[in-house]
Amino acid sequence: MSDVDVDSDAQAMLKVAAGDRRAFAWLFDRYHGSVARFALRFVGDRERAEELTQDIFVKLYRNAKAYKPTARFKTFLFRVATNHCLNEVRRGEYRVTHTSSETPEGEETGTVEMAGPEGDRPDQALAGRELERAVGAALADMSDRERAAFTMCRFEGMAYRDIAEALDASEAAVKSLIHRATLAVARRIEELRAGTAPARSRA
Amino acid sequence: MSCGFEEDLTAYVDGELPPVRRAEVEAHLGTCGGCHATHALLRDAVARVAELPAFEPSPATRRAVLAKLDALPEPWWARLRALLRPAVLVPSAGLVAAVAVALVVVGSGSEAPPELADPAVMELAANLELAEDYELLGLDSAEDLEVVANLHELEVLQ
Repeated sequence: MSDVDVDSDAQAMLKVAAGDRRAFAWLFDRYHGSVARFALRFVGDRERAEELTQDIFVKLYRNAKAYKPTARFKTFLFRVATNHCLNEVRRGEYRVTHTSSETPEGEETGTVEMAGPEGDRPDQALAGRELERAVGAALADMSDRERAAFTMCRFEGMAYRDIAEALDASEAAVKSLIHRATLAVARRIEELRAGTAPARSRA
Repeated sequence: MSCGFEEDLTAYVDGELPPVRRAEVEAHLGTCGGCHATHALLRDAVARVAELPAFEPSPATRRAVLAKLDALPEPWWARLRALLRPAVLVPSAGLVAAVAVALVVVGSGSEAPPELADPAVMELAANLELAEDYELLGLDSAEDLEVVANLHELEVLQ
């Protein structure tokens, strides 16, 4: 994202703080997808992710005055998003419902159902669903902070420094969270590749 | 395995290590079979996760969020700003005076002279703000008094 975009975000947010609804709608259109993806990966359920996304944007609007243009807007937004999701899960409002490895094959779980890779070959689509399931199982087993850090890094492409700001953690802590999370996903994928055989022990 | 480099392998894959540490990890990967294998595993996982299809959020969310904003109570600063407008502030000062008069009346209890219980006097006390408006603005023509008396109507029309 260019500096101009970053500056536009900050300007828009200052307008939101002054009660400008059009500026809010503009920011919403720009970041809705990012927040929704984050929420979905965080709770693993489309309907709950939808509720969380709505709450996060309402919270953003209500707390717009807390924003200072010295902070990158996307980081500020993800701080709001992360805090909200972590608090809701902690309060027991939401349970992380990613497909677990124990879910019997083919059973409907009501969990993340992405449109699979739309290849003509069924084996390709199956590989996509299996990959989704493996990643979902790893996400479900992670700590909340690992899942949040992993999601911001892998699905939003955020830099460690920005993730650290969003999570109110040190960069060293974020590096460790992302490493553990990525290793967990890597092992699930390795299991998937090896069929039902347990992953080879390593590290 | 834990050789002191393993913890840095994901940051290495992500290009998040400072140059000196990056060079150290690079050199280490050539000599440590365990880290070499873990690095390959992590690099593959990062690539596979990036292949996952994007999630398209519901377009209905926008409408739902904007409706929720409409339903929000006004923030305190907006309410305060509204209260501080002269058209509200001046009559309010009168109202405060009226309340003060009413409190004096109530507070004086049985000692109150009988004429203060007169409904006409109470009516005047309740509308003191209007009388005060006229005085504050230094108005004396009937037309001006009419405008002040109907200030609230003008506000609604705006």
